[in-house]
Amino acid sequence: MTINRIVETDAPEDFIEEIEKVQSALPKRIDANPKNVERGLAKLVLTLIELIRKLLEKQAMRRIGGGSLSDEEIERIGSTLMKLENKMQELKVIFGLKDEELNINLGPLGDLM
Amino acid sequence: MNIYTYAIIDSKERLCDYIIGIEGAIVCNIAYRDIGVVVSKLGEQIQNITKDHVLKHEEVVEKLMGKFTVLPVRFLTQFSREEDVLLMMQEFYNDFRENLDRVRNKIEFGIKIIWAGETIRNRIIDAYKRDNANIAIADSSPAKNFVKEKFEKYKIDKEFAKEAEKCIALIVDFFSRFIAEKKLEKLKTDNLLLTASYLVEKERQEDFKEAFERARRTLSDLKFLLSGPWPPYNFIVLTKKTDMFNGKSINQNLASEDVV
Repeated sequence: MTINRIVETDAPEDFIEEIEKVQSALPKRIDANPKNVERGLAKLVLTLIELIRKLLEKQAMRRIGGGSLSDEEIERIGSTLMKLENKMQELKVIFGLKDEELNINLGPLGDLM
Repeated sequence: MNIYTYAIIDSKERLCDYIIGIEGAIVCNIAYRDIGVVVSKLGEQIQNITKDHVLKHEEVVEKLMGKFTVLPVRFLTQFSREEDVLLMMQEFYNDFRENLDRVRNKIEFGIKIIWAGETIRNRIIDAYKRDNANIAIADSSPAKNFVKEKFEKYKIDKEFAKEAEKCIALIVDFFSRFIAEKKLEKLKTDNLLLTASYLVEKERQEDFKEAFERARRTLSDLKFLLSGPWPPYNFIVLTKKTDMFNGKSINQNLASEDVV
C-alpha cells in the first residue's frame, strides 16, 4: 500500500513566512559550548528570570483589572516592574541577547513563553 | 557497529519487502516478543545530518506505514549494540504495546490556519483607544504611566486571545465528528492562529478531508494548510522518559512545515 501524502494550501508563501517566524524565534536547544558557555548560561538564566517577570507582571495586571489595588500600591508595583524591566534590558545588552531569544522550546509541551 | 532506528512496528516477522535505508543500508526488523524495532545496521554513527538522511528516514517510515502500525522513532536515534536495542524494547514494551493498540488503523493529519491577526489586533487597539480616550490619570508619575501602558497591552492581548478562541472554536467544530484525538497549539504567532494535529481513523480520512474543504469554503477569510497522512508523531504517550519520541521530531518539522 502506498501513502498518498498531500500538502494542500492556497497560500504557501504566507505559511512559509509564519513558520519561519516561529522557527527563527526558537532555537532547538540552549547553545552552551566551551566557546560561548557564558552566553549560553546567561540565556538560560535570563529566560527563566523573564518568565518569572512576565508572571509577576500578569498577576499585577489581573489585580489592577480587578480594582483591588490602592493608588500607593499601583505606584509601588509600577516602580518595581519598571526597575525589573530596565535591569533585564541592561543584562540583555551585556550578553548580546534579543527579546525573541529568551524562550525555550519544551518539545511536546510547546514553548516556555 | 551502529544501529540506526526508524520505528517500532506491531510485528515480529522479518520484513518481506526489500527496503533500502539511510546510507544505502538494508532495513530489517529486530523482534522483541510480539513487536519489533525497524533498524539499519551501519558501520559508524551518523554525526552530520543531511537533507538526504531526513528524507530517507521519512521514506522508510512511510513504507512501513503501508503495511504495519508504526510508532515513528525520532530522527537520529542510534544504538551501538543490539543488546542495548533489546534492553530498550524490554524497558518500553508495555508502553509500545499500548500505543500500538491505540494508534492502530489511525493516521495523523496536520492543519495550520492563518488569520488576519495583525489587522484584528489593530482593530482592537483602535477600539481600546477610542473607549479610553477620556480617561485621565490622576496624580500621574513615571511608575503609574508604566503601569498604564502595561495594562493597556494586557487588555489588548486578552481581547485578542478571546477573538482567537472564538475563531478556533468555529474551526474545530468542523472536524470534531471525524477524529479520534487532537492536539491544538494556538497563536504561535499573531497570524498563525492554529497549528492542529488530528489522529484520524484510516477509514474516515475522506470524511476528514471533506470536512477540511467545508471549513475552507465556509471560513473563506482564513488561510488553510492541510498535510498528511503522517505516522502518529504527536500522539505517542509514554509513561517513562526517553528522547526517542519527544513530540515533533525533526523529520516531521522538515516534512510538514518546510516542504510547503
